[in-house]
Formats: sequence, structure tokens, C-alpha cells
Amino acid sequence: MKRLAATLFALALVLPASAFAQDAAEETDFDPAHEWEFKTWGPELKIGPIDMSINKAVAYLMLGTIVSIVVGLVFMRVRIGRGPTRRQAVGETIYEVAQVQVAEQGLPTKAIGRWFPYVATLMIFIWVINMLGFIPLPLSDERWEIGGIRVPTLAIFAATSTLSVTLALALMTFVFTHVEGIRENGFVRYFKSWIPDVPKAMLPLIVPLEILGQFMRLISLSIRLYANMLAGHMLILTFIGLIFVLENVFLAVIAVPAATAFYLFEVVIVVSIQAYIFAALSAIYIGSAIEPEH
Amino acid sequence: MLSSFFFLAAAEDGADAGKAIALALGIGLGSLGAGIGIGNIFGSMIQAVARQPELRGELTGIQWLGFALTEAVVFYGLIGGLLAYVLI
Repeated sequence: MKRLAATLFALALVLPASAFAQDAAEETDFDPAHEWEFKTWGPELKIGPIDMSINKAVAYLMLGTIVSIVVGLVFMRVRIGRGPTRRQAVGETIYEVAQVQVAEQGLPTKAIGRWFPYVATLMIFIWVINMLGFIPLPLSDERWEIGGIRVPTLAIFAATSTLSVTLALALMTFVFTHVEGIRENGFVRYFKSWIPDVPKAMLPLIVPLEILGQFMRLISLSIRLYANMLAGHMLILTFIGLIFVLENVFLAVIAVPAATAFYLFEVVIVVSIQAYIFAALSAIYIGSAIEPEH
Repeated sequence: MLSSFFFLAAAEDGADAGKAIALALGIGLGSLGAGIGIGNIFGSMIQAVARQPELRGELTGIQWLGFALTEAVVFYGLIGGLLAYVLI
């Protein structure tokens, strides 16, 4: 059974390659900037200036939301029996990472009750979206024909490799940080805590830097996740793509193992680390707003 | 779709070639710094665990935090380079 699953998985990994080959033959003219554009699926839904239509990233986000809800329900709602089941063990591991490594590292004890759900949700949600990005799914913009039916090609794409998605997540943390800081310390005391303890003559130099630093957090938080996922996908596709661009099948001897190595590196390390980092930094930022050092 | 990741191969005139060189140099120098930084973090981690093995659990979280923060530096360079390449 296990062997069968492994074979099927390997076959599934091979499938996108054929799709790419077909695609490369069709396409003659090409502009790299088009890679960052999304085609709208179905009707355009515009509410005023806000574009609500569905595209690839939105579809992945919806799928990610469903999967993370299912993951939460399956692993957290375990009936406690006589001995711990496997499901319970996995659920407890997830909970422990969220509790000990993420929440307790950044948040002060009094705020854990209120902000633990947020950081734990962030962790699971980002992990699920990142992970979906490395499973070939038929959700791409390109189509190819199997038996007369045009189906989307299997492709790997992570919703978190779009800047809008990560910026929205980072913006949420940014807003929560300041709302919580003002609510906990009062308006004046909170913004006073931004001014560090330095000689008066230095203040005009330091204060703008501090304020800039608050906004740099927003940028660094969003760009880190975005660029990590984008670079991961680009590395894998670059190595596979070498075969098609240089039109030499024998390059596969080098390209496929290299792509597999990067794929494994991304799946095993980067996906989890990025989810953990995003949640941990959110916890640290919110925690530092609740209890300023000065 | 795939060959879109080979803008470098598509560079035809001098301006494109210059941008390609700038992109490659930027990312290369960026990863040089991040490589040194990541090496530092893991080296310090090994030393710390060798001195006090019982602290391993607590240190692992900090280690990965430092790793991700350092690693991200490369990607700022990458995004800056890509922006410059695609937009200018």
C-alpha cells in the first residue's frame, strides 16, 4: 500500500512536466512580466474600486482556508480515550509548538489568553497555504487537452508567493499591534514608549528612525514570506526548465535531482520555518506593544 | 510559462545585458552576506549546545528565528533586483 502511494506520488510529480512541454510548444512570444499577472476566472465581480473576482491566488486561499479548518477540527477535536491515539499526539504537538515556541516566546503571560488564538491560526493557516503550494494541483491558468476536454494543467503555486496575500496578513498584525498597544497602555503612554532613552540632542535623529522602523516591520514581515516562497518555486522551475530551454534531454540527469533536492528542502524546512517565523514575529510584535520596555 | 524564468537568456541588447549582470551581482553579493550570517548562527548554536546541552530545547527556537531573519536578507536583494529588472 505504501509502495503504491509512493509510486502514484512520483507519477503525479511527473505529470506537470508533460504539461509544461505542451505549453512551451504553444507559446512563442513571451514576457516575463506576464508571469505576475492573474487571469480572472468566471465573471468579474467589482464592488466599487474593489476587485472581488476570483483568480488563481483566491482559489488557493479558499482551498487553504477549508483545509486549515479541517486540520483544526480533525486534530484539535479528539475524544480523549484510554491511551493517546496518533491523532491526539499530532494535535498535541501542533498545540505545543503554538503554545511554547510561538505564544510564550513573544506574548506576556496576561495576553496569551487573548492573542494565542490569533498567532496559532496564523501559524496553521500559513503552513497549510505554503504546503499546498508544493502539491501539484489542477488550479493553474494554463489549459491542456485530455481526450477533448480542456483541463487546467497541474502546477505548483503558493498563494503566499503573491505580495498581496502576505501584505494583508502583515497588515493585520500591524493593526493589531498598535490597537493592542494603545488599548493596553493608553494613547500617550504607548507613543511615548517609542521614544528611546537617549540624550535630547539625538532625539530628532532617533525618533524618525523609530517610526520608520515600525513601518519597516510591515515590509520585512510581508517580503520575507513572499520572497521565500517565490524563490523556492523559481528555483525548482528553473532547474526543470533548463531541460526545455536548452532543449537537451540529458540535462535531466542533473536537473531533476537538483530540483528534487530543492523541493525537499522547501517542503521539509522552509515551509514550516516560514509559518513559525511569521507567527512568532507577530507574537513578539504584539507582545512588545503590550509591554513596552521603556 | 517556464522559460519566463530565464529572462537572462532572453537578454538581447546591451541594456538588458547590463540589467541581467546587475541582478546576478546583487543577488550574489546578497547571498554572500547571508551565507556568512547563517554560518555564524549555526556555529554559535553548536558551541552553545556543546557547552550546555540541557539548553538545546530553548535555543532551537531562537536559532530558527535568527536563521529566518538572516536568510530573508537575500530575498530583499532578490525582490529589489527583480523589480528593477521587470519595471525599468
